[in-house]
Amino acid sequence: MNDAVEAVKALAIGFATTFKHLFRKPITEEYPEYKRPLPARSRARIILTRDPDGAERCVACYLCSAVCPVSCISMQSAENEDGRRYAQWFRINFARCIYCGLCEEACPTSAIQLTPEFENCENDILALVYEKKNLLVDHQGKDKEYNYYKYAGVATEVGKKGEHVKEERPVNIKSNLP
Amino acid sequence: MPTIIIDDREIEVAPGTKVIEAAEQLGIMIPRFCYHPALGSVGACRVCAVKFLQGPFKGVQMSCMVDAQDDMVVSTTDKEAVAFRKYVIECLMLHHPHDCPVCDAGGHCLLQDMTVSGGHGIRRYLGKKRTYPDQYLGPLIQHEMNRCIHCYRCSRFYQDFGGYHDLGAMQSANQTYFGRFEEGILESPFSGNLIDICPTGVYTDKPSRYFGRRWDYERSPSLCINCSLGCQTVVSCRYRKVVRQEARLSESVNGHFICDRGRYGFFYNSLAQRPRSCIVDDQTTSVDQALAAVKQKLETFADKDRAQAVACAGSTRNSLETLAMVKHVCQTNRWQPPAYFEDAAATYKLKSAISRLEPDLTVSLREIESADFIAVLGADPLNEAPMLALALRQAQRKGATVAVFDPRPIFLPFEFKHLPANLDMIQTDLGALLNAALEPAALKKLDGSAREFYASLATVKQISAARQAEIVALAELLKASQRPIIVCGTEMVRRQTPALAADYALLMQAAGKSVGLFYVMPGANGFAAGLLADEDVSVETLIAGIEKGSIKMLILVESNPLWQFPDRHRLEQALQQLEVLVVMDYINSEVAQKADIFLPTTTLYETGGVYVNQEGRAQGVKPAYQGGIPIAQTGHGDHPPRVYGTEIPGAEPQAAWQLLAHLIGTGQPLTAEDLRAEIWQWLAKIDSGFKALPCVADIQPQGARFFQAPHAAERFLRERPIGGADNDGQLEVMAVEMTFGTEELSADSACLKALAGSPVIFMYSSDAKQLNLTDGDRVSVELNGGAVEARLQVTANMAAGMLIIPRHKDLDWQKMNTDKTFVHKDQIRKLKD
Repeated sequence: MNDAVEAVKALAIGFATTFKHLFRKPITEEYPEYKRPLPARSRARIILTRDPDGAERCVACYLCSAVCPVSCISMQSAENEDGRRYAQWFRINFARCIYCGLCEEACPTSAIQLTPEFENCENDILALVYEKKNLLVDHQGKDKEYNYYKYAGVATEVGKKGEHVKEERPVNIKSNLP
Repeated sequence: MPTIIIDDREIEVAPGTKVIEAAEQLGIMIPRFCYHPALGSVGACRVCAVKFLQGPFKGVQMSCMVDAQDDMVVSTTDKEAVAFRKYVIECLMLHHPHDCPVCDAGGHCLLQDMTVSGGHGIRRYLGKKRTYPDQYLGPLIQHEMNRCIHCYRCSRFYQDFGGYHDLGAMQSANQTYFGRFEEGILESPFSGNLIDICPTGVYTDKPSRYFGRRWDYERSPSLCINCSLGCQTVVSCRYRKVVRQEARLSESVNGHFICDRGRYGFFYNSLAQRPRSCIVDDQTTSVDQALAAVKQKLETFADKDRAQAVACAGSTRNSLETLAMVKHVCQTNRWQPPAYFEDAAATYKLKSAISRLEPDLTVSLREIESADFIAVLGADPLNEAPMLALALRQAQRKGATVAVFDPRPIFLPFEFKHLPANLDMIQTDLGALLNAALEPAALKKLDGSAREFYASLATVKQISAARQAEIVALAELLKASQRPIIVCGTEMVRRQTPALAADYALLMQAAGKSVGLFYVMPGANGFAAGLLADEDVSVETLIAGIEKGSIKMLILVESNPLWQFPDRHRLEQALQQLEVLVVMDYINSEVAQKADIFLPTTTLYETGGVYVNQEGRAQGVKPAYQGGIPIAQTGHGDHPPRVYGTEIPGAEPQAAWQLLAHLIGTGQPLTAEDLRAEIWQWLAKIDSGFKALPCVADIQPQGARFFQAPHAAERFLRERPIGGADNDGQLEVMAVEMTFGTEELSADSACLKALAGSPVIFMYSSDAKQLNLTDGDRVSVELNGGAVEARLQVTANMAAGMLIIPRHKDLDWQKMNTDKTFVHKDQIRKLKD
């Protein structure tokens, strides 16, 4: 007798809960009608950022292409008139990319960054091969401050020898004074 | 033989071996910056510290400064030593500019490796960094002094090893600087080695600046074909382009280093103007169609009598496979015998040199370093074979005397004795030296012909009075010498000189000296071409045939006579008279542009090949990459074309020997591998010395020394030119090779063009005085074929009665007409500036 009461009670509570939810606002977010903002650190489409002065951050050092486990990054480095090393062309094959983020981790200049933007499906597979003009953006991405050439001791328009962060004036090589 | 224990492992080493070398023999790489096997130890960097646990002394010591001795027990992993090395690395990194991402050494940087492996990952020093200004060091080397760790390798190589003094240490203490006093182009033609030996990125390669990383390069062992020495190299390819060439350690040829001509002589391979498609009558066609066109033309000459109207020429830059195939095609099709050289004298000189290279006389380039007296006869080491000059320098550093018998204004980066005389007198002078140096007692042992030869040598009294004292002084040194070596040129010298050099060597050998003989030859494969050449056939005889009308069709295989032939006008006329001119080449040579049918061929880097250097060392090379148009060219400076494809663009060219095989018979041509095997078999029939070659083609690191099959070479020449004839106020003109700019392949390298400079004509000081000319005057010299103009350089450091003209591109030296020509003194005029 007791068991039967318990069973009916449980059923009643269950149905009551279901009935109650019939009148609640749904919490499911309908994609693509609603696009939820993802955390900044989520890993999707890759961009090439610029430093705070607006110049390209990428120095085409080949570290991202070296670390890439699926070899989807290729580039050609070259030298600018002002002595900066830059990528003559830079290509990422997103058909191959696994969005692991190792390139971002390897990048010594904060140039290559992954963004939350994940909607980059294409019908034509060649359209997934992004060239530099598709990758380069006009902002700093997640790193708002860093300008590599302010720290590296090579002469560019950012600073001559001895003008970078924590540098002495260049040595006078024609003197023997310590 | 001391026995030493390193990390619980025992090894017996030769006396004088440093602990760091002993460890290396065990396979233990002790960190090092300043130590280099070729440069020795200085103990400057302190990074090779190890702990000595037992033995003559104990504690942390520099392993590069301590000789391995008995009872020594060494630990490389002792806590104290590891901590010591870690602090040293941290100190070396205090002022490092942290610019690895934009440094071309990144990826193969010793400092990077040591920093990481030494455990110094986080920077603790918060003070300011020292900085240095950089210098312009010429078109080959980029300078970035901030990265320097003061190991002194550069100045030790440049000054001590190389013998040049315009780069070295300046300033003092913590501000020591390595560079030039005034910035400018480095004088040493070995400067490129600074890039290889610098343990970090102070000196980096300028032509390949910012091109890529070492880990991305397809690297493979290769060979330098810019002179006859055949130095071993490593080439780096990337994106279908040869990017860099570095020295490969070779114990028998070049040691650790190569010269700049070799290092930067590969750019012809990836030039935009390199021909990559066949051209028939100015129309681009496929290889098959072009071959069909050649065959169709050949059909006219199919019958026996007409076949002689076809001639074929190779050159000394052909691989052995191509050289052999050229000869094979000519023989099979009954064409004229092939020509490999400009004139018959060159063939004769090479043939006599090759036949005189006996096993117990021949020395390798590295063996020159152990000589104690070196007589250079008719060769200009720095200009004809630059690495020879570096080898001579090493011998001289060890105390050898170097005497150069040559009319040219010779410069060598060390102290040597130059005895300039004209081409007849140089051998007389050397004969007189031998005459004075050999003890009469030793000569009693000589057999008949040797004694006769000795008796015919000039005595010291017979040579010019001014020279006598020098010869007598040298004779004293030669008398005391145990290991004399004769280095002999084969290009400029008289017909008998190479054979005479061998006779001189034999004479010294008979007198009890352990003597060596070393020839310098023209071109990378001059030895093999000399072996295969027919004695009386040369480009000159082909031209004569064309002029007579007996030759109507000419096939030039990787050969450009317009570059080298001394009578340009005559050659151009002859080429026009031809009915058909077929050219196969991998450079866009002048003669290729005149061809009726042009077929592109592949380079050494694309198909490999065997090259025989001047001592007869056959060295094989495998392809470095697959060929095709560089991506930089297909992309026109931007990204590669966005197309899918399985074929390599611009990969149509085939090896010259493969193309030639199509011209034999009508059957299906063999595969490349079978064809190669057939070539070796066929070569072995010509000379049994070639039997060892198939193994060379599989790359033996040291190659295989080729000796001509036993033969009866004529020893001890009887007829010898005795020089000294007065030229009646005439000057003998000599067109000579320079380090940069006169060698055909390296002349295509843009970075070497600045080093070639503008042409100068050299004249002896008293000759110039007679003509009222001074150094720096612009002069016009009336040669047989017209006037040439250049600036005059007056020097006392050359033979009188000579006019030395470099075979510079900007100078019409090919107006000479013959290779031996005289100008009368009034044919030289001073021009207004």
